[in-house]
Amino acid sequence: MNAVKVDKVVKTPQQGGLRQAMAWLHTWSGLWISWLLFAIFLTGTLAVFDDPIGHWMTPEHALEEAAHANDPPLPKVTDRGHRLELALDFMAKEHPKADMWEIWPVQRPGHGLSAYWFQPAGGYGSADLDPLTGAVIEHAREATQRETIGGHHFVDFHYELHAGRIGVWIVAITTMIMLVALVSGVITHKRIFKDFFTFRPAKGQRSWLDAHNAVAVLTLPFQFMIAYTGLAFFSDDYVPAPVVAQYGMDNPKKAFLADWNDVGKPVKTGQPLAIPALESFALRAEQAIGQDIRAVVLDNPNDASMRVCMYGWNEETDTMERISANTGRACYALATGEQVALRRPGESDTGGAGLTRAVMSNLHMVGFGGTPMRWLYFFCGLAGTAMMGTGAILFMVKRRQKSGGEFGVYTQRVYRVIACLNVATIAGLSIACVGFLWANRLIPVGIEHRAGWEVRAFFGVWFVMLVHACLRAEKRAWIEQLGLLAALCLLLPVLNVLSTGDNLVAQVARGDWESAGVELGSMAFGLLAAWGAWKVHKRKEKPVRKPAARENAAPTASLHITTEGQS
Amino acid sequence: MIDTILCALGLSYAGMASLSLAMDRHHGQVWGRDAAPNVRRVLQLAGALLLALAIWPCVAGWSATVGVVAWLGFISAGALLVALLLPYAPRLLFRSSLLAAVAALAGLVTFLR
Repeated sequence: MNAVKVDKVVKTPQQGGLRQAMAWLHTWSGLWISWLLFAIFLTGTLAVFDDPIGHWMTPEHALEEAAHANDPPLPKVTDRGHRLELALDFMAKEHPKADMWEIWPVQRPGHGLSAYWFQPAGGYGSADLDPLTGAVIEHAREATQRETIGGHHFVDFHYELHAGRIGVWIVAITTMIMLVALVSGVITHKRIFKDFFTFRPAKGQRSWLDAHNAVAVLTLPFQFMIAYTGLAFFSDDYVPAPVVAQYGMDNPKKAFLADWNDVGKPVKTGQPLAIPALESFALRAEQAIGQDIRAVVLDNPNDASMRVCMYGWNEETDTMERISANTGRACYALATGEQVALRRPGESDTGGAGLTRAVMSNLHMVGFGGTPMRWLYFFCGLAGTAMMGTGAILFMVKRRQKSGGEFGVYTQRVYRVIACLNVATIAGLSIACVGFLWANRLIPVGIEHRAGWEVRAFFGVWFVMLVHACLRAEKRAWIEQLGLLAALCLLLPVLNVLSTGDNLVAQVARGDWESAGVELGSMAFGLLAAWGAWKVHKRKEKPVRKPAARENAAPTASLHITTEGQS
Repeated sequence: MIDTILCALGLSYAGMASLSLAMDRHHGQVWGRDAAPNVRRVLQLAGALLLALAIWPCVAGWSATVGVVAWLGFISAGALLVALLLPYAPRLLFRSSLLAAVAALAGLVTFLR
């Protein structure tokens, strides 16, 4: 019987003109990626505040930091030349064969001294040195220090799903389809400017459609930007052909990256050359780029081709004013003392293309504009998350009133799967995210591979929520999961008091807005989830007949969500 | 910084509110009737002007590049606020946007100096 219906109701995309073809494309491309995109957007939005979340997840560190909050600032380092000597001595003794030595003479915060190197056999090494003696400082992990991946979990998940390169590719394809859904959505939504501010609450399907349109249209520039820059970020992975054309088939990416990141790197001559004192070059570089020196990179040490590059720090005023995150950089050939390269802060040493790429990736990561910009990204990201969520829900709300019969006899079963995935993604993933914070406090501090267990807890909770959503009736599943989400979010500050003794009032009193922000934000989400659970609970089980009758009068609209209910 | 944010957000919000009230549907939500043609024109003009002025605190507070990105963010935020307030509290929308416009325009004076 369903099959008969299908013939009557469903027009093929070819029959309805461009807009209906786009509506079809929008509905189906959007639906199948909406769950993954919801996950990517929610975690990406949380990733905006990865530092504060990481701060909350390392309470021992946070409390220690708070204890020193009122200490006077450390005096500026005056013995940088001496520190450079110490680090050079260490490298000459321990890693003479490395073809790159990198020294951070004034590591922030705390003014430490660090050395890094590339082994000739490949691999990156590092050591922290005592700035007074040059002795290696061994970092034994203290028993009270909890090992955690922190807020970086959300960063990693949103671009690679913790699945490495495969994950990067899955996210890439999803993002491409998102751009398709955005463009087809704009074409479908013919009254885009007339409906600009329209949101009609408490009207069932129409409200979902309004909400979906409003959050999408009002933050459209952001949604395009974030999807596009996300793709541009990994362009050398996603579009490898130009790199292969330029560098040949033999390990092209390595050659490309060497050129890209280190243009003008000298070739070894084999002639020995003693390393001169580097402090004078650091002073020259500071003059040239107008920034304090952060890193001193020595290529081909003890060879006549030896080159030193001095990198600057981006101070807060720099990141407030520039979208490009590039720091200043000045390079000197040590055989002659001549300046061979200069990059002023914000510029690029690989030309316009390099600058474009730097700006694109920094646009994606909000590495500019300070905290206010992060909040703007956070809210626009939430709007994007809501766009995915409302889109997926809208599909089911619509089909609950009138089936489109798209899958013949399997239609109801497919709808059931879609409904499960909606609950497991929208409520379930949110539970997994706050569950990750709970796991941080509940997993014993001394356990082996603790950071891994936190991530496993995240995926475990998510899986349990998926199973739960499949076992329970749809409405019950929504109420139970939203209720659980509300409880976990609202009780997060209580968990913190019980596990570390730290509380919101104390956080605010000592000015620790990072920790307080995480807990206040969590409570805000908790209230939202509680409101959602209550709304689902109040919802009548049987839908009103009126909208269905109207739908019969306009049969073509049944598949085309966005052309429905706009008049 | 906080006055930059409030000024930009106030201008964006008031500008978007003004644009929305120039539309018959939303004009009706607040006053129960359609807008007269000249009233509509004034509201549209005022809205466009307020949104354009919102670039000012953004560029002054950040820079020409970062400021434009911030401006896009603020007008999105202002529009979301309008869309959310319109169905629930249309009167409040009108009054608060008027207040926001006056306060933000006064705030602009501080950027003049």
